Amino acid sequence: MTVPSIFATARSLSYYSRLQEVTANNLANASSEGFKADRMTAQSFSEVWPEALMSLDLKQGTVRDTARPLDIALEGDGFLVVNTPDGERLTRGGGFEINQQGFLVDRDGNNVLGREGPLHIAGREVVIEQDGTVVVDGARAGQLRLETVATPVELAKEGHGRFRPLGALQEALEVRVTQGAIEDANVDALMGTVDLIQIQRAYAAGVDALRTLDDVMSVITTEVGRV
Amino acid sequence: MTDGLRTSASGMIAQQKRVDVIANNLANVNTTGFKRSRTNFEDLLYETVQGPRSTANQGAIGPMQVGHGVRLASITRVHGQGGAEQTGRPLDLAIEGEGFFQVELPDGTLAYTRDGSFTLSDTGQLVTSSGNALVPNLVLPPDATAVTISETGMVSVTNGNDGSMIEVGRIELARFPNPTGLMALGGNLFGETIASGYAATGFPQEDGYGRILQGTLESSNVEIVQEMTDMIAAQRAYEINARAIRSAEDMMQSINDLIR
Repeated sequence: MTVPSIFATARSLSYYSRLQEVTANNLANASSEGFKADRMTAQSFSEVWPEALMSLDLKQGTVRDTARPLDIALEGDGFLVVNTPDGERLTRGGGFEINQQGFLVDRDGNNVLGREGPLHIAGREVVIEQDGTVVVDGARAGQLRLETVATPVELAKEGHGRFRPLGALQEALEVRVTQGAIEDANVDALMGTVDLIQIQRAYAAGVDALRTLDDVMSVITTEVGRV
Repeated sequence: MTDGLRTSASGMIAQQKRVDVIANNLANVNTTGFKRSRTNFEDLLYETVQGPRSTANQGAIGPMQVGHGVRLASITRVHGQGGAEQTGRPLDLAIEGEGFFQVELPDGTLAYTRDGSFTLSDTGQLVTSSGNALVPNLVLPPDATAVTISETGMVSVTNGNDGSMIEVGRIELARFPNPTGLMALGGNLFGETIASGYAATGFPQEDGYGRILQGTLESSNVEIVQEMTDMIAAQRAYEINARAIRSAEDMMQSINDLIR
């Protein structure tokens, strides 16, 4: 009876240390543009052991004005599409730039895709409307592709603020484009700090339990059975 | 948990960089034509602990991925207009709108600046405060008593002998496809890079180039209040990451104590 308990406690310790890493990563990215926090919960399935379960928190981050015309933030459920060497990736926007050839690119130089392919911006005044229509010097230059996936489960993080879609893309309808703004990370630093304290305490409690179980085992092995 | 330590350390390094950039912005709050910079962060790579899967009673479950911190993605210079500061000095020029003055460095290469505090060289040539000549060169005749520079960049001088106005040249401005990509050379100068694209030149108030304001200097576009609030945010974020390191350390300590 004690041996399975030791395993169960050890499992909960590894869960809490993983949770600490996830929380630390959320907090480290509290200033990353368009960052979406990870949530981790323990859930009991039909099996005996509870299992760690991770989900992406797609809650809207604060949209902060920057007045830079090529800073693009999204409000609502949806993503912009960038074309990376590994395929199409989703992003929540950020500080874009125009490359030497006149195409709209992200910081890593990936083309930002419009409905008719990469967006070419030849002109001085760029206006991006709420539905993603790009107007350059008064003439329509294209429309940003706004896509989403069926559920957040179909998104894998890739770093660099990008998401890899695991399912089919579909047009995002509930999203608005804001020009001259950046979406802040949706990390709640205060709650994260509280979580850290909780994790630390739960971990210490687990270690105490382990020690007690070890004591019991020690009694069993040394005392019981002595003639 | 050792990964957690590194994750939080990356957060502290990132905030440190942010404070460095803010400090430079604040130090240059009174620098003519200075453009503030801004730090941009992004998440580092993720370790996929478990791929996406589906269960009998829970449906689809997303992938389990643990991130490894943050990195400084870029430092963007914000080329917004600075305030116009009246000086009344005839050779102080500000550009309102797009464009840079072109100047020639001692080694013959071109550099670009928004700092229009020009002076005259011993030969009457228009040079910047550090002695770099304006391109195309403008030479004021020695008998000129006054100089007038129009909003379109036309430079005229008043002849001291008969009071007549003579046009001596026109200021040209340069513009880049991606001004964010320019490299700061120090001394208020910027250099062309692959990222900025090639300079296109034109006259003020034509084809979207800005207009020239005589007797005016462009102040920096640093806003002290914004920099200070950013500084506070960076400091707090730094502390929180330090707190996360302490919690990871504490957890490692308690598990180490288990071994007797």
